[in-house]
Parts: sequence; structure tokens; C-alpha cells
Amino acid sequence: MSHLVDGEPGSRHLMMGNEAIARGALEAGVSVAAGYPGTPSSEIIETLAKAAEARGLYVEWSTNEKVALEVAAAASFAGLRGLAVMKQNGVNVASDFLLHLAGSGTRGGMVLIPCDDPGALSSINEGESRHFARLVEVPLLEPGDFQEAKDMVKWAFELSEELQSLVMLRSVTRLSHASGDVTFGALPEGQPQAAFHCDGFVLDANEGAVMSAPVDYKHGQQHDKLKKAEALFETCPFNTYTGPEKPEVLVITSSACNLYSREAIKLLDVEGRVGLLKLGTTWPIPPRLVEKHLGLTDKVLIVEEVVCFLEDQVKILTAELGAQVGVKTFFGKRDGSLPMVGEMNPDHVAAALAKILGVQAESVPEEYAGRAQEAGFVGAPGRELTFCPGCPHRASFWSIHNALELDNRKGFVCGDIGCYTMGVLPAGFSTLKTVHAMGSGTGVASGFGKLGPFGLDQPVLSVCGDSTFFHSAIPALINAVHHKSDITMVLLDNSGTGMTGFQPHPGLPRDALGEDAPAIDPAEVCRAMGARVEIADPFDIETTQQVLLDLLQDRKGVKVLVLRQICALSPEKKGKKLYEMTLDQEVCVGENCGCNRLCTRIFRCPGLVWDHEKQAARLDEVICTGCGVCASICPSGAIQRREVA
Amino acid sequence: MQVFGPNELVDDVLKRDFCIGCGACVNLCPYFRSYYGKTAMLFPCTLSQGQCFAYCPKVEVDLDALSSGLLGSAYDGSPLGGVQEVLASRAGEKTGPGPFQAGGTVSALVSFALQTGRIDAAVLTDREGLIPVPRLVTEASEVATYATSKFTAAPTLAALNQGRRDGHTRMGVVGTPCQVTAVAQMRLNPLDKKDFQDGVGLVVGLFCTWAVDTRRLAALLSERVDPRGIRKMDMPPPPSELMVIDTGRGKVEIPLDEIRPLVPQGCQICPDMTSEWADVSVGVMEGTPEWNTLIVRTEKGRELVEEARQEGVLVTEAMPETNLGRLRTASLNKKKRALVRAREKGVLNTSDDGSRSALRVRDEVLKRILG
Repeated sequence: MSHLVDGEPGSRHLMMGNEAIARGALEAGVSVAAGYPGTPSSEIIETLAKAAEARGLYVEWSTNEKVALEVAAAASFAGLRGLAVMKQNGVNVASDFLLHLAGSGTRGGMVLIPCDDPGALSSINEGESRHFARLVEVPLLEPGDFQEAKDMVKWAFELSEELQSLVMLRSVTRLSHASGDVTFGALPEGQPQAAFHCDGFVLDANEGAVMSAPVDYKHGQQHDKLKKAEALFETCPFNTYTGPEKPEVLVITSSACNLYSREAIKLLDVEGRVGLLKLGTTWPIPPRLVEKHLGLTDKVLIVEEVVCFLEDQVKILTAELGAQVGVKTFFGKRDGSLPMVGEMNPDHVAAALAKILGVQAESVPEEYAGRAQEAGFVGAPGRELTFCPGCPHRASFWSIHNALELDNRKGFVCGDIGCYTMGVLPAGFSTLKTVHAMGSGTGVASGFGKLGPFGLDQPVLSVCGDSTFFHSAIPALINAVHHKSDITMVLLDNSGTGMTGFQPHPGLPRDALGEDAPAIDPAEVCRAMGARVEIADPFDIETTQQVLLDLLQDRKGVKVLVLRQICALSPEKKGKKLYEMTLDQEVCVGENCGCNRLCTRIFRCPGLVWDHEKQAARLDEVICTGCGVCASICPSGAIQRREVA
Repeated sequence: MQVFGPNELVDDVLKRDFCIGCGACVNLCPYFRSYYGKTAMLFPCTLSQGQCFAYCPKVEVDLDALSSGLLGSAYDGSPLGGVQEVLASRAGEKTGPGPFQAGGTVSALVSFALQTGRIDAAVLTDREGLIPVPRLVTEASEVATYATSKFTAAPTLAALNQGRRDGHTRMGVVGTPCQVTAVAQMRLNPLDKKDFQDGVGLVVGLFCTWAVDTRRLAALLSERVDPRGIRKMDMPPPPSELMVIDTGRGKVEIPLDEIRPLVPQGCQICPDMTSEWADVSVGVMEGTPEWNTLIVRTEKGRELVEEARQEGVLVTEAMPETNLGRLRTASLNKKKRALVRAREKGVLNTSDDGSRSALRVRDEVLKRILG
């Protein structure tokens, strides 16, 4: 880590893309960085937080992405360089402020870095942030390798100041989370000073009020900025062409697809036949540069991930330039050469290129592929997504599931984003029945809770993580309270932003910099709203179920059950057992009537294993965290727990 | 009787809405639980045979198999089942006072059986508000605490199953006809288990025409009665047509027309009014509220009644023939209604075909009952 701050200019380091981005921000002299945790973006803020003291930065994990963008924008308004970081769907959350910020313009360099997740490797959507750049009309940059990830961040701040506009720089999982060589530049000297000048003429971009009105004037200015950006992009060194002077096919690409395209061209051994135009500036695209390359050939393959973006821009430009560049044949997503959904990879690109060039593309020999498939089918054990051993969510969903079954009125649970999303799977006993955006479980529940007059008589529950509560569940809960919606919200409080790596949130007594911070108690917040609030330990299955059943009987208004138990992986808890567990295989009822493998067939904590030989359950002591919950569910008393002194 | 597993139990009983929540499947395993008058299956179980199915009184109950197994003869459909003697009875001087529904015969016999060691625990039914709650009682003095009729279907047998797990070997069960049927099936060791112990020392059956669904009764009464204040519930004999609830602050009367729709489907196909598979059966005695009707069915029942009488715990008299006639008629009428209803619903099996119904009875017996 220390090389991040101490690394000499000119020295080379193997870095994760997100670390390279953070180093770029340090080289740009960023003063304020704010974000909300979300894979694949989280390491950028974490890395900057570690450098904060040495580099005099202010870094925070904001309550949500909109607030993060607002916090970073304030730095820009005060003349500092501000950075906001989030995952793709975070931009949706921030988008209202984003539109206004694009309109109001900025002062100090202001950069928004969204990290998209094509293929949804760590998401439940493969949303796109690129289209926001076009929608709110701000320049968009996309690094095509790890060096660029660093260098373009620095340039993004400079561009932002030159244009007095927010600049978006988009990364993707394979860039953020893969690693490559990065050569460092210099870190700036001195501490910039903040001042907000706001007493000047209202239309003065540097001294007046900061806002997007008068709209005609400001919107016009914004277009002038984009024209200027377009002109700057014509000569931008991050737009590169490699390949022959007269290629048969021109590939136009950006971002991680640059790496896939390069690999595919090499794989097919067609370097002499294919030209590669890699754009680092993808909105607005530089028209003269693209025109020049369109003139090289009639066949154009556009390689990009998820929703067509570059393909649209290039086609529009080609239509506008019809007289100059002539008719082109386009290959890409719209003609089916490349898949419309999921992550791009070298095989996809190679297959598309091979089809266009009429060559064989065989990335994996057929015989090998067949054997691998066979071996996988027979040999690989089924590994479904599940909660960790000792995860409080498993215990919580066990109780919620059982309470709803006992209650016997077809109650259901609305959920949202977190590890607890897996409540929709057998890991959470398929308890969740709706899953949408952060905080949406409670919002959707609030709506269900008003459908009584239309005949909906099923109990309505929502689940919500502690970080999600602050992020976006509070307005939903207030809505439910105010409208007397009959719902029970179960707050799965595992004391941190568990899924993304225990980043602090407003409920905890420390901030991103590790400093003391006033903790806000969600239970008190809910009480202040007027909700009935109960608190239980999810590891105490008996009490949790009783409280839930009681809340389900209470038909009036909003009830909140806070299930408080720290995440099994959290640094404070990891390796510390509450109980020493034992399992007596002689007592275990096994597959017989009276149990039928409840613990290994239904509960399925990975710490419990079915011993085929002994026809009994067995403890995996290596991964058992000693939460003690399985002792509560074992019907025969075979599993026992002894409190660790 | 062919024994299937939990999946068939769900199909035949829960999905057909025949479950009356007797508790026979509860506390046998982690899957079936009773809450607020309803039995729920928490998770799927994959076994092809299970105690849950074997004991349930609403899967296909083979009346011949029961009769042969317990009484040694085929089911003949006689109105009161196997009978040694029908008596009028009430608690004797030696039985303390209680909040009895009628003559206190049940409390007298059960506490006497506990005192004399005939049984090592009693499986009874308590009430928390309107919710019937099973109780396992080992002190004779506690028995009378749980006297009085509950009128709502109760998971009483959950306590029997728990008692067996806890090591009780001769429990006295007080139950309604459905519960007594479940116990009867249990005692026949339907899964042919080695070293099987039914844990039952005595079965005291109650008369029952029908019960009401706990949740639906609670919903009906929620506007009129505070369930926590309910002291006693009663349905005075015809022609009152009322359910009377003693709240401690006066009596609330609910017309039976409002109550009858709350009777579960499972009660409507029940052919047993007098708990025919019990050792003794007890009910009210028409026109004489201080006395009970007592049917002595088995040798064990006869010995208990005899000894209780000698000890002054129980007083008996001969049952007037007119009362006996009316009892037979009422009991036969319940059989007729149930069998007709079961036939209408397509859950009456009179042959040996493989389909799973709710009742199996020979065609000739069916004809005899329906006249």
C-alpha cells in the first residue's frame, strides 16, 4: 500500500485498476472523495481513505450515492478537486443531482467515476452508466488499460476545469478488479485552499450562485462545453489506432473491450487485416477522428458491452457523413455478431471477427471442450450460492420463514440489495419474494400494505440491511408510517456494509478515515417515526420467532424488528466462537422419520456435512464459527453447544 | 391401512382443507408445528412413509383396520361403537370442586388415574384466550384446572408426542373423537417399529358434534368479547341454538347460525360423535346438567370406573332408556351426515381401490348406516 503514496515518479507497480484510479486521483491532487460502497467500485474510496492522512484528503463513505456526489460537488464549488465514486446503479440514485450538476457547471475539477458490472458478476443487474453522460450531457471518458486508468483520471480533472463541467470516467469490473503494470507520475505539492465565491453576478460561473437556471442560458453553455470537449477529443492521446493502413475490418472499441479486441486479433493472427480504433473519449465521440478511420475500410465491427452506445454514435455519425465516407457495413450487437447481454470476452470478439473475415476461430479445441464439459458434469459438486457459516442472515431467514409458515396466511417478504438478497434462494429458504433496488423492499412493502381494501389479506414484510436502511429505506419507512401501511420491516443489522467489505455507515461509531463518529441508532430512528420497534438476536431462534409471530398478529401500522448480530466475517468477530459445538453421530436421527436431515438438507449451514458412511450429520470444525444456531434446530439433541468462556 | 409420507399428508389433508389441528403430527419431527389453532408444515420432507401420515385422523382412516386392531372385530357401524355399559355419572365427594362443564366425570377419572399410578401424566387441553393449548400434567390436583369444553379444534396430541419424547410410558389422553382416532391409529404401531411404545395408558374420549375453527371464531368474537376475559364457553342443549360465553362481566350469547359456518371441513366428514376408540367416553347428559353420560368401552375402562366408584371419586347411576335412545339417534345422525358428505366430496372409499380418500368403510356397513 505504501507505494501508493511513496512510489517515485517513473516507478512501475502492479496495481489493481481501482488502485490505479486512486493513484490517478492523488496525482491529480484531489482534495475530497466520497462514495457509497458497491462492487466493483469500493476499493477506490478505500484506497484513498488509506492515503488520506498522508495526502491531506477528506474521504467519506456517504449515506448514499446522491449524497456522495453532492459532497464531492461542494469541494468543486469551493475550488477544490472533488471525486465521487459509485457502482453502476449508484448513478441511478445520484442521477437527479447529476442532471442539476451537469446544468449548473463546476469550478474545481469534478469527476464522477462509476464502475459498471457487465455480466452482473457482483450485481443483480447489468445497468449502464455510459448513457447518463449522454442523457445529462457531460463528457465521458473510458480507460482502455491499467495505465490509462491512472492517467485518464488525472486528465479528467484537468478537462473538468478547462470545461467547467463535471466529467464522467467509467470503469468496468474487469478493469477495476484486474491488475496490470502502472508507471507512476508525480504527486502535487501543497495544500489547496477552499473558498466558495457566491456574491458575484448571478450568471458568473466563478462568482455567482451555482445552479442550472436560467435553463436556456445554462443549457446553451453546456452545449458550448460539449462542442469544446469534442474539439479537444480530436487530438486526445487516449484515442489510438493500431493496425494496417488499409485494414479489411475496422474495430471500434473502448474500455475493457479494448483488451478483449487486442487479444482476439492476436488469437486469430489477423494483425495485418484488422485495424483497431480504441476510443478513450466516448461521449461525445470526436467526429473528424472517427471519420478519418471510417475512410479506411467499408467493414466496421463495434465491440462494446451491454447496451449499444458506441454503435449508435458511430452509426449516427456515418449517416451524417454519408457523402464523405460512403456506405458502410456495420457489425456489432444490432446485427447479432456480438451478444446483446452479458460480459464481452475475447472469444466473442474472435468469433465475430472470424465470421467477417471468413477464417476459423477455435479458441478451445472441440475435443478438449467436450471432455471438460463431461468432467464438469460428473465431477463437480453442486455449489449453489449460500450464506457463510455462522451468517446471521441464515438464522434470520430461518425465523422469518418459520414465523410466516406458522402464521399460515401466505405472508411474504419484499427485499432488496445485500447479502440478504440470497433470501430468494434455498440458502434463505426462498423467503424473499421481491428483489429490487436498495431500499425498495420497504417501499414495495409499503405499497402492498395498502392493498387490504382490494382483498390482499397476506401479511407483508420487508427486509433491509443496516447500511441500506440509511441509504434509502428511511423515506420508504416514513411513507409506510405516514400512510398507515400495515407492514413489518425486519432490519437485518449486521453492523456494517457486509457484502462490500465492512465499510462503515452512519449507524457505526467510526467513519471511513477510522475516526470517531456519532452513531445513529436505526431502532431509535424508527421509534421516532412512530413505528412499534422490537429488538432481538437472530441467533436466539425461539425468541425471534415469538416476537415475529406477535408482530404479525399486530395488524395496525408499521412494525420494525431489528435483528442485531454482527456479520460472521467482520474483522471484530472473525475467528471468535460464541460456542464450542459438538455433534453426537450416535444420537443423530439422520434420514429417519423424526428429522430427515433437517440440518444438512434444509438448514444447510456449510459447517454441517452429511456423512454418507455413518448416515449421520457431521460438524466441519474448520469452518464452523460456533454461532450455536444448529443446536437450536436439531430435533434430537445430537448437536450440543457449550458457551466459550 | 397403507402408510404414506408427508407429501401425501399435505395433499390429502392440508390441501383438501381437512386438517382439524388435532396435533397428532406435531412434535414428532421438526416439520409440523401448530400455531394459533392451525397446523403448518414448515419445510418439505421427502420421506415416503412417516408417523405424521400414519397417525393423522384425516388421511384415509380404515375403520375396519381400527376395529379389528383394537376390538378384534370388523367395523359394524353401530351408533355408539363398542360398548360395555352406558351410565349416568358425576364426580364423587372425594373429587374436589372444579369449573366442570357438567358432572366432572373426566376430571374425576383422570385425577384418580394419576393418583393411583395408572397413568404417569395426563394429556389435556388448556385455553389461552381463545387459543386451545395442549398441556402435559403430572399432578392430580392440576387436572381440574383444565376442565371445561373448548369448542375449538385443539392440538392436544402435540403434548402426547412431547410426553413420549420426554420418556412418559403410560399417559392418559383426554381427547375429542378425531384425537382419539389418531391415538387409536398410533397404538396399532402402523409403521411396524421394533420396540414400539405408544406411551398411552388410558384414553378418555369426549363427545363432540363439531368444533369451530379457532382463528375464525377469534375473528367473529373480536368485536364482542375480550378473549383474555373468557371464563367458560357453553352450548346449552336444544332448543337454545346459542353459544354462551361467560366473560366474567356477564354472558355473551352468539346465535349458532353464526357459529356453524366456522366448523372446519374436517369435522363435517367425521362419523364419530362419541369417541368410539377410547377406553371410556364422556359427554353431557341431556336435561341433567349436573350429570354426564359415561360410556364404558374396554376392560381397562371398566376397571377404572369400578375402582373410582368404590373410592368415592365417581358416582354412577343407570342411564334412562329414553336418554340412551336419543344418544344413539344423535350419534347415528352424525355418522349419516358425515358419510353422505364424504361421498359427495369423493373422499369415501368403499372398495379396495388405490385412491386415497378420507374414510374407508365397507359398502355393506355404509348401507346399514345410511339405512
